[in-house]
Amino acid sequence: MDFTLTPEQVLLRDSVARFASNHPANGTRPDYWKTFAELGWLAIGAPEDAGGFGGPTETLLLMEQCGRGLVASPYVSQVVFAGAILREAGRADLLEALTEGKRRFAVAYEEPHARYDPARVGAVADETGGGWTLHGTKIRVLDPSTADTFIVSARTRDGVALFLVPASSSGIGRTPYPGEDGYDVANLQFDGVRLDRDALLVRAGDGLEALEAGIDAASAALCAEALGLCSVMLETTVEYLKMRQQFGVPLSSFQALQHRMAEMYIELELMRSMAYFAAKTLEDESDPFARKRGISAAKAQIAKSGRFIGQQAIQLHGAIGMSEEYKIGHYFKRMTFVERLFGDRDYHVRRYVELTYSAAREAVVV
Amino acid sequence: MNLTFSPEERAFRAEVREFITTRLPDDIRRKMQNGDHLEKDDYYRWQRILFERGWIAPNWPKQYGGTGWDPIRRHIFSEELSYGWAPRLLPFGLSMVAPVIINFGNDEQRARFLPRILSAEDFWCQGYSEPGSGSDLASLSTKAERKGDVYVINGTKTWITAAQWADWIFVLARTSPVEKKRQEGISFILVDMRSPGVTVREITTIDGGHEINEVHLENVEVPIANRVGEEGGGWTYAKFLLEHERTGTAGIAACRQMLTLLTELREREDIEDRRFDERIAEVDIELTALAFTELRVLAAESAGTRPGPESSILKLKGTEIQQALTELALDAGGPYADVALARHYFNLRKATIYAGSNEIQKNIIAKQILKV
Repeated sequence: MDFTLTPEQVLLRDSVARFASNHPANGTRPDYWKTFAELGWLAIGAPEDAGGFGGPTETLLLMEQCGRGLVASPYVSQVVFAGAILREAGRADLLEALTEGKRRFAVAYEEPHARYDPARVGAVADETGGGWTLHGTKIRVLDPSTADTFIVSARTRDGVALFLVPASSSGIGRTPYPGEDGYDVANLQFDGVRLDRDALLVRAGDGLEALEAGIDAASAALCAEALGLCSVMLETTVEYLKMRQQFGVPLSSFQALQHRMAEMYIELELMRSMAYFAAKTLEDESDPFARKRGISAAKAQIAKSGRFIGQQAIQLHGAIGMSEEYKIGHYFKRMTFVERLFGDRDYHVRRYVELTYSAAREAVVV
Repeated sequence: MNLTFSPEERAFRAEVREFITTRLPDDIRRKMQNGDHLEKDDYYRWQRILFERGWIAPNWPKQYGGTGWDPIRRHIFSEELSYGWAPRLLPFGLSMVAPVIINFGNDEQRARFLPRILSAEDFWCQGYSEPGSGSDLASLSTKAERKGDVYVINGTKTWITAAQWADWIFVLARTSPVEKKRQEGISFILVDMRSPGVTVREITTIDGGHEINEVHLENVEVPIANRVGEEGGGWTYAKFLLEHERTGTAGIAACRQMLTLLTELREREDIEDRRFDERIAEVDIELTALAFTELRVLAAESAGTRPGPESSILKLKGTEIQQALTELALDAGGPYADVALARHYFNLRKATIYAGSNEIQKNIIAKQILKV
């Protein structure tokens, strides 16, 4: 049992921290892709033969610092999420292009009324004339405007498969809108989009498992980002309350406020544990069942603790916390987005319950 | 970073498990499984078995009869005690007074007291709280006046677990009146419970049990040689003891046992209720988060850091989870909730009060970690 980082990991963390501290924490989001590629960050988690290095721990270190600096880049969607799916699909060629920054993938899987459930797929891919024809609606696709290719889940005669769809294909309708925190998001409408035979990325039957592996990897990365966001929210709140004078004394001298900050600290430490737990789960678990259960536990805890810390950070700041000019609100909004991406607290608690009792039933059979 | 147990650690766990399975007396295991109160003799018999195996003092240095285990092995051992339904080791001698004697006592005291704690010949209890001094411990008024080569002690100590069984009590008493700081002038004194002037009054708790007591000290004469460390230095030793006490109070493995019982109860009562399942899941998830926090604290300790204010989180959250589990068990019983479930629920209300109430823990976090 050893939580110390290797020298390479320390180097990575520190270089991301330096980068993130130069990023303005005001909700702006320049596209850093060229820089990320040059620094090698796009290669994290890819296999070595695709030019990759590291794994969930390196992703955690990077994402925690991105959270601290409020660098809300397409990293989670286009590197962690899409990368994990390409890994599941065994596509070293595409991963190599991804790590070099030459290709960018956005995943389109959520559908209207599916309530975060990736298995509820209404989109359909019909085999036609040596290729495929795609129909369906996908909502809240992350970072579509910088992607050259969409990875789309669709139902075939034999089950759910994943397809590579060039973003420039005709028949794609886009409804772009900003996410709660200004994120690049769009709903996509596929109306008879024609695809080549080799557009099939993961064949029917395996599509859902590959998608869920991607969702779990992305969720773990978001846990780390949330940790960074909440660390800054707590630090900022404590500093502000030490400085802000009312009734002739610093606000931090009031016990009601001290206890609230202590509660925030406890929640933050539980978040830290769960962010590490999520990374460990991805590293250890070859069994998808245990992986899903572990990730749902982590995401549910992060959502609960993160919501509490965010709300209290605004409350304890008082009116200045409501001001768009002040930084705390931007962290709060990003946290509000992060806690609900890839499944909110209710979704993950339910998933955890289902996995727990189906495990219990299996154990009885064995 | 390597967050798994080594092969040696896993082998150690198997060895401990095997020992507990074969050597824990069946009648004690049954009492533990049923949630029945244990008698002094139950603790005595089990501690003797561990003593003979050399496993009675996991957190003592080897030279005094400890196991010499690192924090991870101590953690594994304590987990296995819970998983095997073994009674906890009564902490008052083994993990409270002994570390103080080892660190701050003299050779004579170490030779006199430590072997009898190891062998379970002496049972101990803790004389900290008083009727007028709970969270504000430094306001204590028990006095120890020096007369020749004895202290004459007068005062009342209360909420004392296991005083009815104890041979010795360690007492915080004022050896000089308050001048500047109230924390000064307090001494740490070891008192033989058989001394003339010591009386024990039983206190019945809301669950109907008898765990705690009031101890009156009336002109009790104690040799000066029974004072540990410096006269007036008691507050330092008391705080040292409390930090050690807090790391032990998270009770994570015990919570896992309660969770298992709860799942059985859910099956037995045929509860098909989504809301109830989600309530269990949320406590289960928080327990996972706390267990991983404990591993982080242990890893830091292994790297040579003493338990610090972070141990407050373990105490605070651990006791909240214990209470949440007893609450769920009570609710799981529904209209058929038996007396045992209710008693356990009533009894565990103590957990957020003892060892420094959870509100005091929040003060500690605010002052020592957030530095407000």
